[in-house]
Amino acid sequence: MPVALQLTGIRKTFDGFVALDNASFSAQWGEVHALLGENGAGKSSLMNIAAGLYAPEAGQMLVDDNLVRLSGPSAAARYHIGMVHQHFKLVRPFTVAENILLGNPLSREDGGFRSKLKRMEEAIRTLAGELGFEIDPGKRTATLSVAEQQRCEILKVLLAGAKILILDEPTAVLTDQESERLLSTVQQLARRGSAVVLVTHKMADVKTYADRVTVMRGGKTIQTVDPKQTPAAELVRLTVGEAIAQPKRAAGTPGEVRLAVRELKSASGARVVLSGVNLDVRAGEIYGLAGVGGNGQGELAAAIMGLPGVLDGTMQLEGLGDLKAASTAARREMQIATIPADRYGLALSGGLSVAENFGIGQVHAGRYGSFWKLSRSKMESEAKEAVKAFDVQGVRSIRQKAALLSGGNAQKLVISREFSKSPRLVLAHSPSRGLDVRASAEVHTRLLAARDAGAAVLLISEDLDEVMSLADRIGVMVRGRIVAEFPQPADRQAIGQAMVDHA
Amino acid sequence: MDILLNWLANTPDFAVPYALAALGLIISERSGVLSLGAEGLMLVGALIGVGAQLAFGTTGISLFLAMLTAAVVALLFAMMVIVLRVNQVIAGLALVFFCQGFTSLMGTLLNWTNQALTGIGPLTFGSLTELPVIGRILFNQNIVVYLTIPIFILVALFLNRSTTGLRLRAVGENPQAADAAGLPVGWVRLGAILAGAALMGLAGAYLSVYSTKLWVAGMTGGRGWIAVGLVIFARWSPWRALLGAVLFGCIEALIPQLAAAGVKLPQYFVLMTPYAVTLAVMVWVAMAKSGIDAEPGALGEAYVREERR
Amino acid sequence: MPELAPAMSPTPQDTILEINAPEPAVVERAKPPFVPLASRRFTVEIRQQMSWPWQALILGIAILAGLAISAAILIAAGVSAKDLLNEFIVQTFFDKQNFLAVLFQAAPMIMIGLAASIAFRARFWNLGLEGQMIWGAIAATAVSFYEVGPEATRLPLMFIAAFATGLLWALGPALLKLKLEVNEIISTLMLNYLASNFLLHLVYGSWKDTKDNFPHSPEFRAFERLPEFLPGISSAILLAVVVAFIVWWFVDISRAGLYLRFVNNNPRMADAVGVPVRRMTLSAVLISGALAGVAGFVVAAGQEGRLTQSFYIGYGFSGILIAFLARNNPLAASVVAILIAALFITGRSLQVFYQIPFSMVQLIQAIIVVCVASSDFFIRHRLRPVAAKGG
Repeated sequence: MPVALQLTGIRKTFDGFVALDNASFSAQWGEVHALLGENGAGKSSLMNIAAGLYAPEAGQMLVDDNLVRLSGPSAAARYHIGMVHQHFKLVRPFTVAENILLGNPLSREDGGFRSKLKRMEEAIRTLAGELGFEIDPGKRTATLSVAEQQRCEILKVLLAGAKILILDEPTAVLTDQESERLLSTVQQLARRGSAVVLVTHKMADVKTYADRVTVMRGGKTIQTVDPKQTPAAELVRLTVGEAIAQPKRAAGTPGEVRLAVRELKSASGARVVLSGVNLDVRAGEIYGLAGVGGNGQGELAAAIMGLPGVLDGTMQLEGLGDLKAASTAARREMQIATIPADRYGLALSGGLSVAENFGIGQVHAGRYGSFWKLSRSKMESEAKEAVKAFDVQGVRSIRQKAALLSGGNAQKLVISREFSKSPRLVLAHSPSRGLDVRASAEVHTRLLAARDAGAAVLLISEDLDEVMSLADRIGVMVRGRIVAEFPQPADRQAIGQAMVDHA
Repeated sequence: MDILLNWLANTPDFAVPYALAALGLIISERSGVLSLGAEGLMLVGALIGVGAQLAFGTTGISLFLAMLTAAVVALLFAMMVIVLRVNQVIAGLALVFFCQGFTSLMGTLLNWTNQALTGIGPLTFGSLTELPVIGRILFNQNIVVYLTIPIFILVALFLNRSTTGLRLRAVGENPQAADAAGLPVGWVRLGAILAGAALMGLAGAYLSVYSTKLWVAGMTGGRGWIAVGLVIFARWSPWRALLGAVLFGCIEALIPQLAAAGVKLPQYFVLMTPYAVTLAVMVWVAMAKSGIDAEPGALGEAYVREERR
Repeated sequence: MPELAPAMSPTPQDTILEINAPEPAVVERAKPPFVPLASRRFTVEIRQQMSWPWQALILGIAILAGLAISAAILIAAGVSAKDLLNEFIVQTFFDKQNFLAVLFQAAPMIMIGLAASIAFRARFWNLGLEGQMIWGAIAATAVSFYEVGPEATRLPLMFIAAFATGLLWALGPALLKLKLEVNEIISTLMLNYLASNFLLHLVYGSWKDTKDNFPHSPEFRAFERLPEFLPGISSAILLAVVVAFIVWWFVDISRAGLYLRFVNNNPRMADAVGVPVRRMTLSAVLISGALAGVAGFVVAAGQEGRLTQSFYIGYGFSGILIAFLARNNPLAASVVAILIAALFITGRSLQVFYQIPFSMVQLIQAIIVVCVASSDFFIRHRLRPVAAKGG
């Protein structure tokens, strides 16, 4: 079979950080080729190069055996390469048709805008029908669900003429059922002759849908194998390099209810986001909240953290009253530790030093001096100790900017700050997003340790594997409320079903 | 009654600079570039308008040169915000003060200050102009006043009903998406900045050539800033901006009429009116803010393709 | 009708034919257009790698470039190059008379620079410095005009009045931004126009000096003026130094300074982590207004000796420029302010000897801002070549 896309000897660095080191990849026509690796392995960067968004410092790219140099995404489109990104590139106020028209060759033809839009809508309806799903081209993309937005993205690249289809972590934001639909659709496309590249870190998807899999690790290409012939353990070994001891999840010993949330409601404009959340988190247990994004998890986390938002209902913290009235500083005093999902937006200040990011946690309590004089030396020395204790790597100087830390180390810094005073309640929102297996394991160990020390831990994560491996009880959140709860050991199928039944 | 007539007849004259400047700002800001330089670009247009009129005597050439010069000056701004990714507020402020200093200097050195222009007057349409009441209001305005409406129509159609307009709006809402769709974000923004600057230059030229018929340093007196406020409370829609401009035109036109009517108002308090009204309207709009945010999603942010994190 | 969707079952033969476009023309492309190449070459941001010496070097080059361009414009406008160097640069610093004038001018300049930088540290674009200055001067003049308090306390009362009114004039925009998210650029600017018109109303109206009928207030009495603390050197500069120290303490030593850093860097994160963002922002803006008011007091009671109609002109942008060059650092701002004061003195000389309008100073300042802002690009970004053609 002739080769559709081939990359060889690719090198790419970002301000000193080597993302790709002599990486290579090759996909054939008519196959689903998975690109497997953990977060940070370089898979997305490599495919961004194939899609024309990044330019490599060294290496070659061939499309259908022709040597090619892409000057940008439109060049890639001319070579029939289309990429569906992890973070959708949709203009939210535009309709589906307008979004798809934007980059489509049709937009460059002569003719009236209105007529082109009409033709685009026609084409969308036809193609969607062929692929077996419904979509209304006149709807604004801001009103679509995540799965629908993704379909919009796929239609966009197909209608632009893509025959080499690259999907970057497509199932990260979908329920199990939606993932199944998506992957069988792309399998169909491959059977009809297109080349499909599936960038993923999910072993199960690879085994079920891929014809071949290329494993990447640390910016290098390790090996290409047939997933159906290769045992899972071998794939893990290739991906991770060696066996990572998964932390043993001993059952927790739950005590009294530490956080009681009752009928929590919030709205954003006319849209109801939280429609009456009821949950209890007990001391010494990890309550895992599962569910795909967009169902109110972010708002629940924000409510517990104390971020601005209109709220109804109560959040009682054992013995300390309703959280609603407490400021973020007061919550810190109540020993509530939070690990937000948005690391650089909410947890760390990239332009400030590691010491300052660490110290800000206890500055109000007067630990590092008074209003009149800040005790920087004390702050720095304690930060140094914490960095050592929590194994934060990459800190050449305690005064360096926090933005220089890699994802895993940044998260460890956040944890070192949050856990410096034994927390009473821990809120962990997608704590291992973007981290590799080793860093994830370290984060999980910390969460379990906090639980064993008596904290109540609320874990919110879209990664069902994470929730299942850590939680003592699992709740499913759909459309702003908890729809089902499962004690451990929980049935994964049942959980998935709960997500769908109430969607 | 006469007062009322004068007031209405003069309103378009006062409204046009606000309208054109606001429209220029809208084009630029819809592409995601915060354009605080309006005050400066209007001054450039005003200066060149007068200078060209003194040199060549033809209003068509003067207006054209004014627009061209404003666009050329805006190139500096475009270079700063697109290529060099300078903070758009700083760049805008620098542009304004640069233009203020430069036009003042040039006006003095070239001896264009306080030279009255002659031979420029409103158009007349024969018997239509003779009509009582509406004759003076509708059929006795300057040519630029009449051109303003078609300009607005063209720009509104361009923004909402054309492929290029779609592209421009995409760049302003989500440059990452536009880039991934193959649009040259930098070039689109450059085009928007230049087009906007030309309109702002035209606004300034109208002020000096048709309205006051002379050049004095700093003659725009804050109208550029008011236009920036206007665009915010028009929520980036051309027609609402036009409405706002007419409102301001009404207010400014009212002032001399009140004096003529013998209403005794402290002079400097009266001069405060446009600024006080701008402030009041901004507060009112902020209080009545509805759910839908009309602000272009990426307004004020520089775009870099390889941004990580 | 052109094909919109690709044929859904292309045979391998089809695809090869479609993609095998004429090789040379497609592969060896002409040079890509400027912008995409530029955006590909650059990696982005946060480069702690650029050490202080390098940053200072780039900043220095930018300032020199700005001055060079300004000098070129001046020469083109008729100023002789020799004069420019001798009289305006050497003389300004080495002639005792001129140096004292620079020092005198530096006092309000330092305060305005500090006022600007403290507001900017809270991400608040306080463009209303001139209005706050005006009100400070008006308040101080009011104390003199209505003879409030006994002689000994008159001057301190003027100071307090200026401080308070400057602060109050900044309160409005601050609250509007915090409570209603009203854009502070426009609100502070509009207030400037209101203040300047009110000033005119006063000096052309009820406060006009009846002795000479000029648009300024009656002269301040001797005890209402800032005294000299050394022969030839006004206590204004002493006041400025004290204020600079206090601001430095606030920003670098106190706990509030750390809070302010977090607010400046990422207000959302600061709020999440427990920093009292609104309180800090409000404090910073009010201090900014107060300092600007005091600057107004210094000009009225120090240099002018009365309330005049255009004393504030040029200070607004000067403040922004100082804060920008000094990167909001109070000690650096004080030094830069002295240089800007020298620029002002030079500007006045140019006006007297060459009839060059004072707005030339504004032009020079704008050119410097453009040069420095542009040079920032090289501090924040790095240029890197892409893969060689053909691999």
